[in-house]
Amino acid sequence: MKILTRIALGVCFGCLLMSSIVGTELRADEITVLYVGAADSSAHLGARQGLSEANAQGEFMGVQYRMVTVAEMDQTKLTPVAIIAATQPTRLSQLVANYPDLALLNTTAKDTALREQCRGNLFHIIPSTAMLTDAERQWVQNASGSTAQARAWHHTFRKYAASQLNIRFKDQFGISMDDEAWAGWAAMKLLADTIVRQPTLTGAALIEELKTNLAFDGQKGVDMSFRETGQLRQPVLLVEQDKIVGEAPVRGIVDSSDLDSLGLAFCPK
Amino acid sequence: MNITNTLYKITFASVLAAIVMTASAAPPKRIFVTNEKDDTVSVIDGATNTVVATIEIGKRPRGIGIAPDGSEVYVAISEENAIAVFDPESYAVLRRFEGGDDPETFAVHPNGNIYISNEDDAKASVFNPKTGEKIAEIKVGIEPEGVAISADGSKVIVTSESTNMLHVIAVPEHKIINNILVGARPRAATFNRAGTIAYATSEISGEVKKVDIASGTVIGKMPLADDKAKPKDVLLSADESKLFVAGGRANRIFVLDANTLEIHQAIPVGKRVWGLALSHDGSRLYTTDGVSNQVSVIDTAMGKVIATVPVGKFPWGVALYE
Repeated sequence: MKILTRIALGVCFGCLLMSSIVGTELRADEITVLYVGAADSSAHLGARQGLSEANAQGEFMGVQYRMVTVAEMDQTKLTPVAIIAATQPTRLSQLVANYPDLALLNTTAKDTALREQCRGNLFHIIPSTAMLTDAERQWVQNASGSTAQARAWHHTFRKYAASQLNIRFKDQFGISMDDEAWAGWAAMKLLADTIVRQPTLTGAALIEELKTNLAFDGQKGVDMSFRETGQLRQPVLLVEQDKIVGEAPVRGIVDSSDLDSLGLAFCPK
Repeated sequence: MNITNTLYKITFASVLAAIVMTASAAPPKRIFVTNEKDDTVSVIDGATNTVVATIEIGKRPRGIGIAPDGSEVYVAISEENAIAVFDPESYAVLRRFEGGDDPETFAVHPNGNIYISNEDDAKASVFNPKTGEKIAEIKVGIEPEGVAISADGSKVIVTSESTNMLHVIAVPEHKIINNILVGARPRAATFNRAGTIAYATSEISGEVKKVDIASGTVIGKMPLADDKAKPKDVLLSADESKLFVAGGRANRIFVLDANTLEIHQAIPVGKRVWGLALSHDGSRLYTTDGVSNQVSVIDTAMGKVIATVPVGKFPWGVALYE
């Protein structure tokens, strides 16, 4: 209840102009994550789910998080530990340039070109178009012509405790978790899983920790880490007629543990 | 002088222990195995390693444990949100009681109460299984899973899978006294006999962590070599020198040095090995090999499988009636 109130406040501040009121509301022991994008979008609800889980964990360790939602970044005088973004590639590029010392987590833009740019502080939680295309291609090879759509997440996903996450999300928001909601959840959760172990990590040190030491449980059965492109390594789901028919990397076509068989594995030389 | 004396005592004790172990290396009377997809419990005769009975128990049976006095057996019926109770001699199902939402894993306290993790509720519950009364609820992290109880009953560990944490709970206060961050998705834990150290497996990070209970710190970790390993149950050998880890998809039991965590051996068993139980004398280790629908019987001195017993579909939990 307390957590929800705080989120609601954060959302409301986002609607207003950031002002000194925010400053007086800030508590020194809270770690602030900024969300740039539309409130109540899928990614935003996912990030809110992630926030409540981050605080459930933080409560046991004396760490508390708040998420402040803003439509546009230039309003804020906050000093967030990281930015979760659900916005267009051009806006992402501006944010990356304007805040070079902050980890920026992209939850919605699938553009492969953004990965090719290999920006040092830009992390992609949502799979790229290239990853999804590769997954679909592997599936076609495997399933003798049967086509499926590759997705980051699906509301019927049950394995690897995915059902528990689907249930938690639906219980809180009354709708099913989709790809962008998963990405929003994962962005906040992987930040918190990293920060809770070293609460003083900020800026460049946090970026470095995310790049080198992440072993994130995204509830898809594997430990996830970042490629040098900034893309989160992850399996994707293959869906036909709203049913999961498989997972990629597709066993039999590639080594099913070779997550780098999907999309761009390395930065262009 | 003192050193010689101590050495003499240690040697004498080891010899004595060896004699006692050899003399008492009798298998358990019965082995009870929950079959997750059959809704049954298989009863294995410990002397012949064959299934002698199958008990219809309820939907999706998983965790299983025996009362300290051996009078009854408890089974978590996950899809019926209940704990079923049966008689280990007659196999008659005696009663069932409400076990909270989706009960999966539990442990039986020396005082007879059972400690259950309720996965969807982020809670651990304490029940008196004689009356079915809920004695306490403890708020823990998200997706609580493994439960371990120290030999003296003063501490309970509950693992929170999505919160990546071991919660150390004091009994009888039922207050959390320590929270220890471990690797991603901690599944199971076990205490040493003194209750000073615990070992925990993490499924997603594929590792074992050793923690000091008093300070709440991680004092050792060992990744399991096989990247397919999704470790689950973990147990100490009777002499506490070795640690047995069920390797999940690695289809092996890893044998680690309990002190250094060095991996000494990997014993091949059936597919997707989850559950473990060790006989009181430490001579036999029983494993549930989920996808192979079998139980493997390991001679711990030889470090190899001496029997495989076909059971029901997806064997999950195993308990020994000795």
